[in-house]
Amino acid sequence: MTGTGVDHPLVGRGNTDGARLFREWFDALNVAAETGRASAYVFVMGSFAELLGAFDFPLVFPEINSLQTAVRRVAHEYLDQAEDYGYSPDICGYVKADVATQLRGGEHPMGRIPKPALAVYTNACNTYIKWAEIWERMYKIPTFVLDIPGTRTAGGQTWPGNGHFENDRRYVAGQLQELIALCEQVSGVAFDIDRLRENLAHANAMSVGWKRVLDLNAARPSVFNALSDGTIYLGVANGFRGTRAGADYFRALVEEMEYKSANGIGTLTDEQYRLIFVGVPCYPIFRRFNELFTEWGGTFVNSTYLWFASGGSNLGFEYDLADPIASLAEGVLIGVRDAMDSMFYQTGILSQMIDDYHADGVVYHPIKSCRTVSTGLADSRRALMEARDVASLFIESDMMDKRVVSEAQMKNRVDAFFEGLASRRLQTAAGPA
Amino acid sequence: MTTVVFPEWRDKPLDDILCACRELLEDTDYPTVRRWREAGGKVIGHFQVYFPEEIAHAAGALPFKVRGASVEPTQADSRFGSYLCSILKTSLELALSGRVPLEMFVTHPICDAARNLAAVWGRNFDYPCQILYLPQNATSAHAAAYLHGEYRRLTQSIEQVTGRTVDDEALRHSIGVFNDNRALLRDLYRLKSDAPWLVSADESYVLVAVGCLLPREEHNDMLRTALPLLAQRTAQRRDRVRVVLEGGFCEQPPLDLIRAIGRSCYVVDDDLLIGLRWLTDDVPLDGDPLYRLADAYLNRSSHSPVQHDARKPKAEMLLERMRRANAGAAIVMAAKMCEPGLEEQVVHTRALDERNLPYFVSEFEENMTSFDHLEIQLETFVENLLFE
Amino acid sequence: MAYAAGVDVGSTQTKAVIIDEQRTIVSRALTDTGANVIRAAEHAFQEALRSGDLREEEVEYVVGTGYGRYKVTFGNTQVTEISCHGRGAVHMFPKTRTVLDMGGQDTKAIRVTNTGEIVDFCMNDKCAAGTGRFLGAASSALDIPLDQLGPTALRGERPVKISTTCTVFAESEVLSWLGKGKKIEDILLGVHESIGTRSIGLLRRVGIEDEVTFTGGVARNEAMVDTVNRRCGMTVNVGEESHYMGALGAALFALDRIVASRAPAKVQGEAS
Repeated sequence: MTGTGVDHPLVGRGNTDGARLFREWFDALNVAAETGRASAYVFVMGSFAELLGAFDFPLVFPEINSLQTAVRRVAHEYLDQAEDYGYSPDICGYVKADVATQLRGGEHPMGRIPKPALAVYTNACNTYIKWAEIWERMYKIPTFVLDIPGTRTAGGQTWPGNGHFENDRRYVAGQLQELIALCEQVSGVAFDIDRLRENLAHANAMSVGWKRVLDLNAARPSVFNALSDGTIYLGVANGFRGTRAGADYFRALVEEMEYKSANGIGTLTDEQYRLIFVGVPCYPIFRRFNELFTEWGGTFVNSTYLWFASGGSNLGFEYDLADPIASLAEGVLIGVRDAMDSMFYQTGILSQMIDDYHADGVVYHPIKSCRTVSTGLADSRRALMEARDVASLFIESDMMDKRVVSEAQMKNRVDAFFEGLASRRLQTAAGPA
Repeated sequence: MTTVVFPEWRDKPLDDILCACRELLEDTDYPTVRRWREAGGKVIGHFQVYFPEEIAHAAGALPFKVRGASVEPTQADSRFGSYLCSILKTSLELALSGRVPLEMFVTHPICDAARNLAAVWGRNFDYPCQILYLPQNATSAHAAAYLHGEYRRLTQSIEQVTGRTVDDEALRHSIGVFNDNRALLRDLYRLKSDAPWLVSADESYVLVAVGCLLPREEHNDMLRTALPLLAQRTAQRRDRVRVVLEGGFCEQPPLDLIRAIGRSCYVVDDDLLIGLRWLTDDVPLDGDPLYRLADAYLNRSSHSPVQHDARKPKAEMLLERMRRANAGAAIVMAAKMCEPGLEEQVVHTRALDERNLPYFVSEFEENMTSFDHLEIQLETFVENLLFE
Repeated sequence: MAYAAGVDVGSTQTKAVIIDEQRTIVSRALTDTGANVIRAAEHAFQEALRSGDLREEEVEYVVGTGYGRYKVTFGNTQVTEISCHGRGAVHMFPKTRTVLDMGGQDTKAIRVTNTGEIVDFCMNDKCAAGTGRFLGAASSALDIPLDQLGPTALRGERPVKISTTCTVFAESEVLSWLGKGKKIEDILLGVHESIGTRSIGLLRRVGIEDEVTFTGGVARNEAMVDTVNRRCGMTVNVGEESHYMGALGAALFALDRIVASRAPAKVQGEAS
């Protein structure tokens, strides 16, 4: 293979392949909808894809379906429809877009979405619970909430061997057994532990790869933009979790990022400022939002979104294939717990991240729809600013509802933030007065 | 602790008792908590909706139900962003302003906003701030064993903070006290349903709500005195619609709003401060008391939008409440920005529509001071029912 | 002698300020922004030239700021009003460390260093409650001229509680208090208190550090200044030029560019 580094076939492959895989996944869902195959509705914070895949359930991620309506600029139609149905403007936009999707018989900009036969979720987000209750009523289907007891207090994570951890793990393992029984009942497929083992192996490869890719972004210049590119990788991490295609993808992605890192190939932005993004992306103006930063030479080197929205698979936890169910229980407990921690107990993690990734600033993006992520951000920011001298920006909008996204107002704040970063840099260069 | 922190009602006529309760509820200096502390007592704050207060009680502490307040969140406001319910901010304000110093603060993830509270609180105070993970998978065969373990963990934390060991005997004693309390509250609600002209909505509310601020023994004493006095009242039975008020499970409507509602109709049942009445029967005093508490939470409990339980489908629960209380209509409220409340409004209104049952839908905020709009709409609604 | 200019294009009013090399204000101008933003910017600038008896060529650098900063087409560059208000306030009151800017439609709280660099900022531009617009709504509801609101409110003793968060509904709340027999002075004091509460909320988010400078058109309202003083627990600085703080800051940035262009080329200290 010839060509300069940037023209190397590897560079950009993750984005193209990711987009292709995404398309294929929605095409498969379309077929499932057309042929009346009932699917499993799952969520990103604890999807149990490895297990559900062993029962041949097509997997639907309503969160991803909903954000796609925003990316494709039709979210307002879906939101309006749900609000006409009776849902308040003040509740999560993802839920409303999905209600509208259901009311339209699954009609969606990416193709038709199949109906659920089953919904499986964790308590990592309380909205998941109320959301699934909607499907319970609408379709009279069983829904399964798998409780994941999270961290009880800051710095209070417990680990295998600790009595409290074992109490939590026993509960998770017991619920997994109940979930398996339910899956058998709904799918008519007998549980095959070897299939689970195989899926877990793929998930291991993906988690290890995902962690490696995230770690590689500490490179200067960074090798991918955690906000724009990262969301593509995240989509595959979720949609193809526990599959061969997903494992292959992440192997290839690691190869690409290692190549870029070794050859000093960065993103399309001339990297002037390295930033960390905290929150959920602004999907209604996804590209433009990123441009507000890249126009100033700002690129995102990491994002808490890539942690919690991957259900904690950024940890690189590897399941022990010799004991699949017990290990799945442990992995799910640790992973989903970590996803919650990256939302609630993030000060220390962020502080470490600033050092590891040589970050110049932190951008907090609380959104109206998601209270899980957003409620604590103002205080979390206050705590980080108290702990260390780092520049930060706080801009509020939404990930679905264009009505509360004001580009002009955001630009004002973003510009002021960069003006501050520039003068901060000048001051540091000038040395002590 | 033998200190009496709320003596103001003793040996007084009924109206004075009600007045004393109302004043206590409106006193943002929390004198009962202050007196408790002055006598050397410890306070364990817990957020809505339900908390196994017996455990704190068994450790000799005062379980204080944090449920917002009529204060300006001048300091707390900057800790939060926009689009949030008021109760989070005013609750934190209570602590930040020093009005209610605590030894410990515990929350349970009732909703996505409140589940952040322990973390926010923990960043702002030195005392332990914890999350108690109550099961949302209540029908799992493993839930009770898990919750038993979780209650044991909580007990250990409370022991550390209070310096007191909590043994089974202490727990059983506390469970007894709280069983009595719940029985008395059931009596009050029976009275509200059987003879609503004897106790107005706001009077009933103050009698219940002071429980959040008092040692349960004192609350029991007060209720034991007040209930017979209420039963003996001579009050005229009026021609008012019997309604169930739903939506007060977390952020509380202002007392004046409850009074205004009570002027238009008889509130024969509600979910106001349902956490105090969460367990529906006496918790048995035999066996392992923590296990008994866990089992009661899961299997003999009321309902709310924030607890998921397939055995208690949300659409059915309000209808069941209306049936039991013989109510002909519902007032379906939600606190502003309350996600579970707002979502549940859709469920309830659809279920009521299907059965042609009348209802009034509205939002409220704990510190709203003007509700002329609301009152007019409610009166119109009630008039429509009476004059159909 | 070189001159520098700042043009602050706000949603309701456009301000222009011209300063000399000693950083003295030579002239200023104020006009309504109206529908044609570009014209408003040009008009304000020309007015400032006229009243300063200057020719356009004598102004070496123009910085545009405010929401319409990209419409200052004759300008050399633009800087956000956040940076400009910070800079302007520190220039007028060198001990400024916190700025409260209350304009017609938005309110900003800004924390600054001793050289006017921005440490943190917080804006309320989501809704009109807590901005000068609220005063406008009260003025029309009570049929009292805007400049009378402050003096009237200062005579109030027991402020009523305005609980609605929406300016539109606040109008009817104000009228309902009137209907209940409350005195206009107390109602207006309540309106000021309500705005003050929201402003202090913003200030607390960035942290209140002594000294606080109050800028923007609303700073000319004595009752508002009084409310802010009480809530901050300190006496805030209010200047004659509070209306022009943004434009002044922009002019100072413009002067920076003039000075920088004269200095011999330096590698040290330049951002790569």
